[in-house]
Amino acid sequence: MSERRGPGRGGLGLAALIVAQALCAAFFLSDALADFADIGPGALTTGYVGIEAAAALLLAAGIVVEFRMLMALLRDQARLQRGMSIASGALEELMQGYFRDWRLTPSEADVARLTIKGMTIGEIAGLRGSAEGTIKTHLNAIYRKSGVTGRGALMALLIEDLMAEPLVADDTATGAGAAQIRGGKSGPVR
Amino acid sequence: MIGHPAQSGTPAADPPRQGVRVWDIAVRGFHWLLVATFTLNAFMTDAESALHHWIGYVVVGLVGLRLVWGMVGTRFARFRSFPPSVSGAMQQLREIATGETRPHVGHTPLGALMIYNLLATMLLIGLSGWMMTTDAYWGVDWVEALHEALVTWAEICVVLHVGAVIWETRRTGVNLPRAMVTGVKDMPVDTAEGPAG
Repeated sequence: MSERRGPGRGGLGLAALIVAQALCAAFFLSDALADFADIGPGALTTGYVGIEAAAALLLAAGIVVEFRMLMALLRDQARLQRGMSIASGALEELMQGYFRDWRLTPSEADVARLTIKGMTIGEIAGLRGSAEGTIKTHLNAIYRKSGVTGRGALMALLIEDLMAEPLVADDTATGAGAAQIRGGKSGPVR
Repeated sequence: MIGHPAQSGTPAADPPRQGVRVWDIAVRGFHWLLVATFTLNAFMTDAESALHHWIGYVVVGLVGLRLVWGMVGTRFARFRSFPPSVSGAMQQLREIATGETRPHVGHTPLGALMIYNLLATMLLIGLSGWMMTTDAYWGVDWVEALHEALVTWAEICVVLHVGAVIWETRRTGVNLPRAMVTGVKDMPVDTAEGPAG
């Protein structure tokens, strides 16, 4: 998980486009208005003024459309972000549920979580300030209690559960969804 | 990021409110004098007249004073309290898109961008207008076109500004036009953090 892309990056370009178009619209509009003031109502039929007025109008219409697009984009991004936090919350619940089922000690649960995150034994030892041997002992206990054969199998267990059902079925029912996933697949694996 | 949920529905409803002094007399005076002078020159005075030129100088002088006040003025008048921030503006757009309301004590980020835009536009209008009175640029087409385009730009921005003020007032329930008259914003209590002035 490298740094997540900041939300609103795509929106920024759209916002800049809107400002640029507004400037263009102001230019055409002012020119059309000036000609109109000089020549009078007949100016509209001379073609040139009509084109300028039409350009300003079309630019204005484009701005309205772009603004709606921008709003939709920002809403989508906000929803994605919310889904993301729900998803990570669901994953966390799923893991905790398994850890409870397997009766892991707090230390073992911690090591299991870091292992699932992809850290090596050495890194976990460094983070927890304990010897690598201790971490290996914890890991063996985890594998024994859960009945899986190793790190890969541990990951596979979670992934399988997450893929079995839609993670974000409903924006609001986060905890319930995770509990349901876990409930459907209780008991020792394999 | 998703913070507190939007206070949907009627904005002027329950939450207790507290008046916060935000705009000092200089800010309010500048605002309404600018409204008056710009309106006069955009719609009423004859562009060739001495009056138009003098009002133009007054506008530039007003903006100049505002720039100084932005350095040395009271808390919410200072530019430091509303720095131009693209990320802040995008965040505010996101709040608008998702229907979140978060009342701001001073200027909102989008409002701040509009202020800088209008200040710069006023100065450029003054500059191009003054150029039209000089021997070097008298009767030069692009200067006149620029002057007029900038005025139209300012008018569009004013319409946008007024629209945004009305809209934000309805959305947040904080009466912004009244705040620019009395200097006091009626903020919901939990957001009115910090002493004013």
